[in-house]
Amino acid sequence: MNSSTLTSLLRYTVSILIVCVFIFPIAWFALTSIKPISAVFNKDRVVVFDFEPTFENYEVTVLGGKKADTSQGASIGMGTSGAGAYDGRGSILSSLIIAVCSTALATVISLLAAYALSRMRFRGSQGYMQWILSQRFLPPIAIIIPLVFIFRDLGLRDTHLGLIIAHTLINIPIALLILKSFFDDVPLEVDQAAMIDGATRFQCFYLIVLPMIKGGIAATAVLCFIFSWTEFILSVFLTNSIRTVPVKITTFVTSTGSEWGYISALGTAAIIPGFIFILLVQNHLVRGLTMGAIKD
Amino acid sequence: MTSRRTWLPNWLTSEHPLPWLFPVTSLLLVFGLYPVLYSLWLSFFKRNPATRIEKFEPSWNWSKLLADDRVWDAVQVTFTYAGIALFLQLALGMAIALLLDSDKRGFGVLRALMTLPLVVPPAVTGMMFLLMYDSSFGVISNSLYALNILSPENPILGTGSTALWGVIVADVWQWTPFMVLIMLAGLRALPREPFEAASIDGASSFQSFIFLTLPMMSKIIALAVLIRGIDLFRIYDYVKVMTDSGPGTATETLTAYAGTVYFKSANFPYASAVALATLLLVLVTSTIFIKLFKVRF
Repeated sequence: MNSSTLTSLLRYTVSILIVCVFIFPIAWFALTSIKPISAVFNKDRVVVFDFEPTFENYEVTVLGGKKADTSQGASIGMGTSGAGAYDGRGSILSSLIIAVCSTALATVISLLAAYALSRMRFRGSQGYMQWILSQRFLPPIAIIIPLVFIFRDLGLRDTHLGLIIAHTLINIPIALLILKSFFDDVPLEVDQAAMIDGATRFQCFYLIVLPMIKGGIAATAVLCFIFSWTEFILSVFLTNSIRTVPVKITTFVTSTGSEWGYISALGTAAIIPGFIFILLVQNHLVRGLTMGAIKD
Repeated sequence: MTSRRTWLPNWLTSEHPLPWLFPVTSLLLVFGLYPVLYSLWLSFFKRNPATRIEKFEPSWNWSKLLADDRVWDAVQVTFTYAGIALFLQLALGMAIALLLDSDKRGFGVLRALMTLPLVVPPAVTGMMFLLMYDSSFGVISNSLYALNILSPENPILGTGSTALWGVIVADVWQWTPFMVLIMLAGLRALPREPFEAASIDGASSFQSFIFLTLPMMSKIIALAVLIRGIDLFRIYDYVKVMTDSGPGTATETLTAYAGTVYFKSANFPYASAVALATLLLVLVTSTIFIKLFKVRF
């Protein structure tokens, strides 16, 4: 074996090891979700594979099944919360409604603004872009307390609509900047040719340029969906009874102990949509994460 | 423009930017700018905790803020947290990107797998690490016991000296892939010629990394540091889920402190002042950084 094959082999080994380290927490979490209680809460040793797999945790948290009889397993950490406290179906539905609506709203209105900022020259456009960028860097905590009061006065506190607006708000700067970078990729001559043929600005936008950046719009929407789906702090402050999935999971930690079976089941289920989506948008991921600053 | 007749004034037609920008602008003004001003206004009131009456006294909360040791502790924790996490993510991100930057079979799959931590909700990440840190059955804790690095009497998140590290590890796990992706994009965009010339002149790969790769990627690195750095300054999810600022106030960041004031003492004016201090910290630090490194979007 010569030295270059050896180096190549070493590189493969180290790369695979590192990727395994980054996958491990997710794999461990998913593994925990199918362990029986006795295997999760084993105080003597860490149980890795030697257990009887069970889907009970998914039945309770995702399918709304009855909570299992605690007397059969080691009941360490089993709270005495009422039935349905671990039913995550309502949260999944709420998260879906909020993520889909805020994604649609943010994408549509950002498309309009991004088109204008990419195509029209007007006074203050640079300043406007700076303002949008600064919105991306605004710490949510700085607007949350007044938002609680504003939402209370408008009757938006603890409603789906309220959280849709809040998530739209954090998604707009990101969506706008990414979409502008996609519009910038389309040559100005395309618009000029259409307008010479008599199209209005809006026709030009809707009929000509929009279809040209379909892929970019899809990537933007996927990123907005993920941001809304994983968002935590706004949901904690702005809602009480409506709980998005990340907030719901944290309620499974109680003073009497943590329900690790249920936490890992709902948590694993919450990761799956993101996994599917992120694999779909691999090509535009860097552009999305840097808000259009780096194109790949 | 062609002779298109319309009864609408020009600024209401699609030829003018106004209708295009109106929805975004109004939403951002009402729910983005107005709350910040409201917050500022709120911070000018002194709240009497017994009577719950608020009195206009502009300097009250701000002088209280400057004299509050917990604020200064929180600023210190925020900077320590952000500094260590940013350094680790940057160094690891660059190293892993160099490793995975290959066209050979299988590396594409590895790069795709590397992005998966990014879509885990941070609150769930906190849970994952809580499970692994658990002092009796946690897989990380037990491994550390076996290696004699840690003893069961001092749980990772329950001990003041290690709790912050526990949270940082979760952050580094989730966000190193972000750095890897950006660095990979930067590496892929590098021209080949300078590297070929350097190698003909006998430069080692370490030399060409230091003298060619790093300077050519400085803009991208600065951008990545800015985006990640600002997110680190606003850290809330991991701290809230994993330690709730504890033990004591060992992991209390500025954002977490604002949340504590809001939820536990319901002193909204003071909570607003602390929250605005976070905003101020982000603004000042990022402005200095942008000026210093000439970052451009």
